[in-house]
Amino acid sequence: MKFAIAVFSAAHAPSSRRALLFAQAALAGGHEIVRLFFYQDGVYSAANNLVTPQDEQDIARQWREFVSAHQLDGVVCIAAALRRGVLNGEEATRYQRTAVNLDAPWALSGLGQLHDAVQTADRLICFGGP
Amino acid sequence: MSTLHVVSHSPFTDSRLASCLRVCASQDAILLCGDGAYGLHNPALQTRGVKVFVLAEDMQARDLPLPDWADSVDYPGFVQLSIDYDKVNTWL
Amino acid sequence: MSKSLLVISRQAPWSGPGAREALDIVLAGGAFDLPIGLLFMDDGVFQLAPHQDAKALQQKDLSANLQALGLFGVDDVFACSHSLAERGLASPASAQPLNSAEISTLIDRYDQVMTL
Repeated sequence: MKFAIAVFSAAHAPSSRRALLFAQAALAGGHEIVRLFFYQDGVYSAANNLVTPQDEQDIARQWREFVSAHQLDGVVCIAAALRRGVLNGEEATRYQRTAVNLDAPWALSGLGQLHDAVQTADRLICFGGP
Repeated sequence: MSTLHVVSHSPFTDSRLASCLRVCASQDAILLCGDGAYGLHNPALQTRGVKVFVLAEDMQARDLPLPDWADSVDYPGFVQLSIDYDKVNTWL
Repeated sequence: MSKSLLVISRQAPWSGPGAREALDIVLAGGAFDLPIGLLFMDDGVFQLAPHQDAKALQQKDLSANLQALGLFGVDDVFACSHSLAERGLASPASAQPLNSAEISTLIDRYDQVMTL
C-alpha cells in the first residue's frame, strides 16, 4: 500500500510523534511512503534549530534521521515555511535573513507536491493538533 | 466506501468529536488518539453505534479503562485500520 | 482518472492563517485541474458571512480568494446547514447547504478527505 503522510503540527506536539511512529510502522509493515508533506505548523517539525533537554525525545531529529535513513521524499511547504521563519540557505539568501534552520533531507516546495502525492498514493493520512 | 475518522482533541473542550459523530456513516469507524482518548468517557460515542478504536499508548498513558464497545490498537494496528477503511479523515 | 479530494474547512477566517491555508490547498488543486470539493463546517462557515471587513484587522480579504474558486474550476462548494443554523447564519449564495446525512454521503463520494 502506498501512503502519503501530511504533518500539520510542530515537533513538540504529540501528533508529530504520532505521525513519525505511524510512518515507521508503515515501512516496517512493508508499505511504501510516497511522500511526507509538512504544512502549516508542521514546517516546525522539519526545523533543525530545536534544542531538546537530554532526557526528552527530540522528535525533529528523529524525523530527520528517519527520512535520511529511508531516503524518503520529505517536502516542506515553502509558503507555510517562509511565513513561519523556517528557511533553507537559498531562501535565507533570497530574503536576506541571517538564520538558516532547514537543510537536507528536507526540500522546500509548493502545494502541488501535496496534490501530486494524493494522486500517487492509495491513502492520504494527516496528522495535526494535539 | 468507508471512512476511518481520527480524533485527537478531547470531546470535553472541543467540538470535533461531536461534529464527527454528526456526519459519520454506519460503515465508518472512529479512532481516538491523544486527548481524543478521553472520548472513552463520552457516553455519546457508545450510543452512536459506530465502531470505536483507541490508540493503546494514549489509553495506557491516561489510565483509561477499555470499555467493551471499543477496541485498542497499536501502531501496526493503526496502519492496518488505515488500509481496512477506504480513506482516513483526520479532524486536524 | 484523477483522485478526488474533499477539503473540510472548520476554521474561522480571523483566527490566523489556518482558513487561508486550507483554501490554498483547494485553489492549488483547482489550478492542477484536479477534482476537488470544499465543505465549510463548524466555525468555517463564518468565512461565508457577507460584509466582513478585513481592513479593520489590517488583513488581506479572504473573500477575494473565495470568489476565485470558480475561476480555478472549483465548483463543488458546500456548507454544513447545521453549522449555519447553530450560528444564526443564512444560507450563503456561494455554497450549497447540506444536512448531516448529505455530508455523510459527500464524504463517501470523494477518494480522500482532509479536515482542517
